[in-house]
Amino acid sequence: MSRLPEHPGERIDRQKVIRFSFDGKTVEGFEGDTVGSALYAAGRRTFSRSFKYHRRRGLMCCSGQCPNCIVAVDGAPGARACTEPLREGMRVEHLNARPGLEFDAMRATDLVGGPFTPPGFYYKTFIRPRRLWPLYEKVLRHAAGLGRLPRQQPERMWRTEYRRRHADVLVVGGGVAGLEAARAASRLGADVVLAEEGPELGGRRLVDEAGEGIAALAQDLRAGGVEVLTRASALGYFDGIVPVWQGDTLHQVRARRHVFATGGIEQPLLFAGNDLPGVMLSDGARRLASLYSVKPGSRAVVVTTSDRGLHAALALHEVGVEIAAVADLRQLSGAPAQDLGERGIRVLPRHTVVEARGGKAVAQAVLAPVGGEEADERPLDCDLLVVSGGSAPATSLLLQAGARTAYDAARGGFALSELPDGVQAAGEVAGAGEPDSVAPSGELAGLEAAHAVGLGDERSGARVPELREALAVARAGRPAVAVPPPASGARRGKCFACLCEDVTSKDIAYSVKEGYDSIELCKRYTTVTMGPCQGRMCQLPSIALMAQETSQSLADVGTTTARPPWRSVPMGVLAGRPIDPAKRSAIHGRHRDLGANVKWAGDWRRPYDYGDPQAEALAVHHGAGLIDVSTLGKLLVRGAEAGAFLDRVYPNRFSDLRPRRIRYGVVSSDAGRILDDGTICRLDQETFYVTTTSSGAGAIEEWFSWWLADSDLEVRLTDLTQGVGAVNLAGPRAREIISAVTDVDCSNEAFPYLDARQGRLAGVRCLILRIGFVGEVGYEIHFPAAYGEHVWDALLEAGRPYGIRPFGLEPQRILRLQKLHVLVGQDTDSESTPFGAAMPWIVKLDKDGDFIGRSALEHYARETPATSLVGFTMSDGHVPSEGAVVVDERGTPAGQVTSSRYSPVLGRVIGMAWVPSALARDGVSITISDEGQKLTAELRTRPFYDPDGEVLRS
Amino acid sequence: MSLEFLTLDAPAVARSPMERQARAAGARFEVRDGWNVAVDYGAPEREREICRTAAGWADVSHLAKLELQGDHGLAGVTRRGGAWWCPVSDRRALVLGARGSMPGPDETEPEARVHVVEVTSNFAALTLIGPLAREVVARFCALDLRPQATPVGSLRPGSVARQPGMVLREGEHRFMLLFGWAIGEYMWTVVQDAATHLGGGPVGQSALEGADA
Ligand code: FES
Repeated sequence: MSRLPEHPGERIDRQKVIRFSFDGKTVEGFEGDTVGSALYAAGRRTFSRSFKYHRRRGLMCCSGQCPNCIVAVDGAPGARACTEPLREGMRVEHLNARPGLEFDAMRATDLVGGPFTPPGFYYKTFIRPRRLWPLYEKVLRHAAGLGRLPRQQPERMWRTEYRRRHADVLVVGGGVAGLEAARAASRLGADVVLAEEGPELGGRRLVDEAGEGIAALAQDLRAGGVEVLTRASALGYFDGIVPVWQGDTLHQVRARRHVFATGGIEQPLLFAGNDLPGVMLSDGARRLASLYSVKPGSRAVVVTTSDRGLHAALALHEVGVEIAAVADLRQLSGAPAQDLGERGIRVLPRHTVVEARGGKAVAQAVLAPVGGEEADERPLDCDLLVVSGGSAPATSLLLQAGARTAYDAARGGFALSELPDGVQAAGEVAGAGEPDSVAPSGELAGLEAAHAVGLGDERSGARVPELREALAVARAGRPAVAVPPPASGARRGKCFACLCEDVTSKDIAYSVKEGYDSIELCKRYTTVTMGPCQGRMCQLPSIALMAQETSQSLADVGTTTARPPWRSVPMGVLAGRPIDPAKRSAIHGRHRDLGANVKWAGDWRRPYDYGDPQAEALAVHHGAGLIDVSTLGKLLVRGAEAGAFLDRVYPNRFSDLRPRRIRYGVVSSDAGRILDDGTICRLDQETFYVTTTSSGAGAIEEWFSWWLADSDLEVRLTDLTQGVGAVNLAGPRAREIISAVTDVDCSNEAFPYLDARQGRLAGVRCLILRIGFVGEVGYEIHFPAAYGEHVWDALLEAGRPYGIRPFGLEPQRILRLQKLHVLVGQDTDSESTPFGAAMPWIVKLDKDGDFIGRSALEHYARETPATSLVGFTMSDGHVPSEGAVVVDERGTPAGQVTSSRYSPVLGRVIGMAWVPSALARDGVSITISDEGQKLTAELRTRPFYDPDGEVLRS
Repeated sequence: MSLEFLTLDAPAVARSPMERQARAAGARFEVRDGWNVAVDYGAPEREREICRTAAGWADVSHLAKLELQGDHGLAGVTRRGGAWWCPVSDRRALVLGARGSMPGPDETEPEARVHVVEVTSNFAALTLIGPLAREVVARFCALDLRPQATPVGSLRPGSVARQPGMVLREGEHRFMLLFGWAIGEYMWTVVQDAATHLGGGPVGQSALEGADA
């Protein structure tokens, strides 16, 4: 155990022991521990194996920024041990090492593979022989990745959901700057959400002063109505929407203003062996000690580019860590160096670390003068190597929002240079990270955000220039930092620029030599910055290496494009709830009761059949069938000029349609192509009831609305699609059945084909249309959806003596094919015209006035279409695939099969196909090429069943 | 011949598209004004408690709805005689409420400027009630329902659970979702999934009436 004595500010409760397992072994920690702190306290130094070389990796940042401590918790991969709170009984397992973390067979890639596994080796090595690719792929997939998910999950293992949150101001970052920003905005009345990535608020204050004063500030915020989210990572910025991932919830925050107080990310240094367990960032080591009372090491060497490392050395010394030496890359150390000297700790100016040595963990650090000779090296024994390579402002979200950065040579990093509208930055990310500037910077950002949404008063307005002034003064007094060399000691061993993807300084040099000499190309080639840390640890080092290799300045190399997600996130979190929108008719429950085979049809769930589609089709011919057609689009077109409007949107005429009569219509685009079809019934002088295809309902409603919006016609449109149910009763006994339940006289004389009547059916008011899509005497009955089951039941009951059967979409398709009735979308495509689709009669070029598609249709009327839609029947019993190709005598594609079925009433296979117009005659023989088979079919231009429509009209 | 076939006056029982799910959740039904209405789910007191402390959802698809077309003259959502009069656009408005609260022809067609279409079964409806009601809606709807954006008595058309819909804020903690009849089953599933996770449950008309009282 390496627990320190109890001290104020520690987050653990030593009275509450928590037991959990790591790789099957029981480990103990305390309440308040993270998995990482508990394991470290229990002596564990190796937490993971690296992605490519399978090198040992240990805690480095202790703040969830790096990839070193990624584990699986209760089967879910991707958790950061150093931020994952400890829970009783939790099951923690390592990832990416076989057979175990301590002995990983894949480590061989590091020991022997280095020179053989340069960047891009996958692409170069595994391309030959090509036939082995499936094997390579299997092996690579097995070797790669960070954890495994169960192959099949009957239910989702983890619930994830979206939550939408509107706000006036979103503050990202719960350090002092973010908290001050939230407080300032909320005091002016803004509705504020604050999202902090870490487990608790405080940011760097947690490290410097164990979060002194933060609890009171947070309390203040909550009391003021600020919604504070912790463990909540902002993933990106999408035109003002910021998805914030918190546990199982993805908050979609839509704020009017955004304050990014995302702080800075402590940077590592590049030197040989910089990834050994025991190499730790200064803030990481301090976190372990101050928050979890874990002694990070017994003897430490500290290497720093700024006062940050000096403060760390002091803090670690304070808790009993022996400091072997401090190497400061600057010539002149800051004030804390004096304190260190007084404690007898050596500070070596202009020194850096060139190598970390050790087997399972650091055992020695080799220090040397910056750019100096090997003779001046100082190997120092230690079990902890604390490094601080400066701080990179966490600008990714700001850049996604449209901010710009510029290279700041004095700070050795890319600093904000321009902010977009609607966005504020505060604290370290805005260059105000020092203790005297961080709070004013936060307050200023909060005030400006509130002002921007129209809140504030004279006092708050006057405060803005005061704060600006204070920040300018603080900025002038910032302590100096050193810019580290891109890498030190690269000849001695691997210097890792990217810990996530195992990209070394040599890999970057190799990439440049291969011609990938821009940072964006290098990123794609080496995958540097593309791992779980998303560039937090490796962007700046890789830019510095690229600058060195290409002899450019860092400013000229520039940064890669900032893209979401800013933190790696489980795909399930992005997926939301697994519920698909589905439309169902009001009779759907009855279909289920009847054992229907329900499938998707567009965005509807519909019965395809009730177990025997052929028998259902025959029932329609021999007795009666009932099909639910509630999915049809139904539009009410009303107004004094409703007829004129329909004349404008259809190529045929409707203004002359008599009340209670029905006419077929095809909607064509302005290019004369078929968009949809359906029936139009005139209910009275000013009212038309238009039906569309099921899949076209929404589009036609929009199409009509679009044309109406631009017209001065007195017409109103109401979409009744979902409110009106509809069934089609068809068959030789249909008349008897309907007559048993309606007060409408359904005799052929009183109610002829293509007429409409209103009346009651089983007590329900209905509109009955006498039409016949399936080729038998038919009645399409429309009624309020709320009576759907009642109407359905009544018709089935009345039809029982006549052998009625419910039928689904599949038998309907057989029946309509027998009649060569076109299914728009199935038999037509976006190029089909009414002329090609054998419906020239629908185009009334002699009607007065313009209509949509007129000029295009006039053009097509003068030409013979290249292909025409016709029926065919197969010479053998083969049912060709829909989509099979019609070929000419040379075997060249000349058309396409659109529909094909076996017709039980005809006893043969029939279909529809587009064929060259020259062939579109009865009796012509064509060849269909279907999956390598050549099939012969004979063309038919007239319906296969009841070609003269006598049955329909009877 | 006009629009008689849209009238719901049959001696048959009218049913909501969510009736089967309500039944599966334990609903007890009564026929009211010709509709099968879920009166309670077997524990009216617990349902009232849910409405007070979490979020209850109730199927109110049986409410009558009329679409007004033309110059309706409504400046904003108003409550008249127990019905909500909601302008949807300059030329279109929706009136919804209990059958007895609906306007007669005289009230809706002054000087024949407004045409009326019965759209009761165009829109299914769920009422969400309780202090967590807004949180529940936020799980599937991106409309801004904060009081400053959607005060009591306002209607917000938009995407509800990725489908076209409307949200009417009836009270501080009471929202009515209006959506297509055909997506009733889907919407019930969505609301049930979200509300149950937050401690909510289905409630019947009795609980709603209790909350009104
Ligand atoms: S040590 Fe846990 S993420 Fe860096």
